[in-house]
Amino acid sequence: MKGCWARKQMNFALLVVPLVAGMLLGYFLREKKKANLGKVTFGIILVLIFSLGFSIGSNSELLNSLPEVGLSAVVIATLAIVFSVILVKVGRRTAGLE
Amino acid sequence: MIKYIIAALLLGGVAGYLNANWSSIVSSVWVSDYLLNASLMLLLFVMGVAFAMDRDSFSKIRRTGLKILIVPLAIALGTILGGVVSALILGINVVATAAVSAGYGWYTLTGPLVGQIFGAKWGALGFAANFLRELFTILTVSLMVRFDKYAPTASGGATAMDTTLPIIVRYCGSDALITAFSSGFILSVIAPFTIMAIASLA
Repeated sequence: MKGCWARKQMNFALLVVPLVAGMLLGYFLREKKKANLGKVTFGIILVLIFSLGFSIGSNSELLNSLPEVGLSAVVIATLAIVFSVILVKVGRRTAGLE
Repeated sequence: MIKYIIAALLLGGVAGYLNANWSSIVSSVWVSDYLLNASLMLLLFVMGVAFAMDRDSFSKIRRTGLKILIVPLAIALGTILGGVVSALILGINVVATAAVSAGYGWYTLTGPLVGQIFGAKWGALGFAANFLRELFTILTVSLMVRFDKYAPTASGGATAMDTTLPIIVRYCGSDALITAFSSGFILSVIAPFTIMAIASLA
């Protein structure tokens, strides 16, 4: 669990810094021909998902809680997602957000 | 594309489980902390480059302006509404369930925080429900994007600023980067406050 904590606790700066640095680089590379990074990016996404799976698999606290609270958790997660998606769609239409 | 994602998730899960329960070849921190954070930061960098290289991106942001705040607001309301409806269906404590849902997918915050307020059983539920939100978002992103461009962002909740961001951008395009990141960021910031505010109603 400590690992996951660090993900957010690594404080927002550690997520914002690479994002802004990337944007600056991209801005100055505008005149250059676009490099196709699609495959590389997808490779890193798979590494990310793998390590996410790893952190879940090694988290016995989380795995042990699933049989007991699993059904309620599925209902809550599903309805939270469904209502969020619907309200965002409605809100976007109302506000004319593209 | 999604089958590789599911395969990577399963493989990681099995590897993490075996490593934790049998051999401990590597300290799990190396993978679930360092490797996860490093890949995430690298992806944020690459997404930033791709975003800024597109000439239209900044003007699109300027046109959107503060309307962008509608997205996290609608997600927060929808999530809590979803929590309340779930409690009514399941016949469990409405306030505690709403607090559980108000983690917006940030399970490492919600589990301990809700557990402290409502007891260990609710902590476990806060943990599991928010973890499943992240998992369902990863698994259904390709279906969601067909319904609405911002549906994956809505589904991801607070995780749209980190773990689910790369997949959201992959499926929704560079356009979605700022909306998804800012929405996830705002939801992450307000999560502890909304949980405690809801809990104070009990």
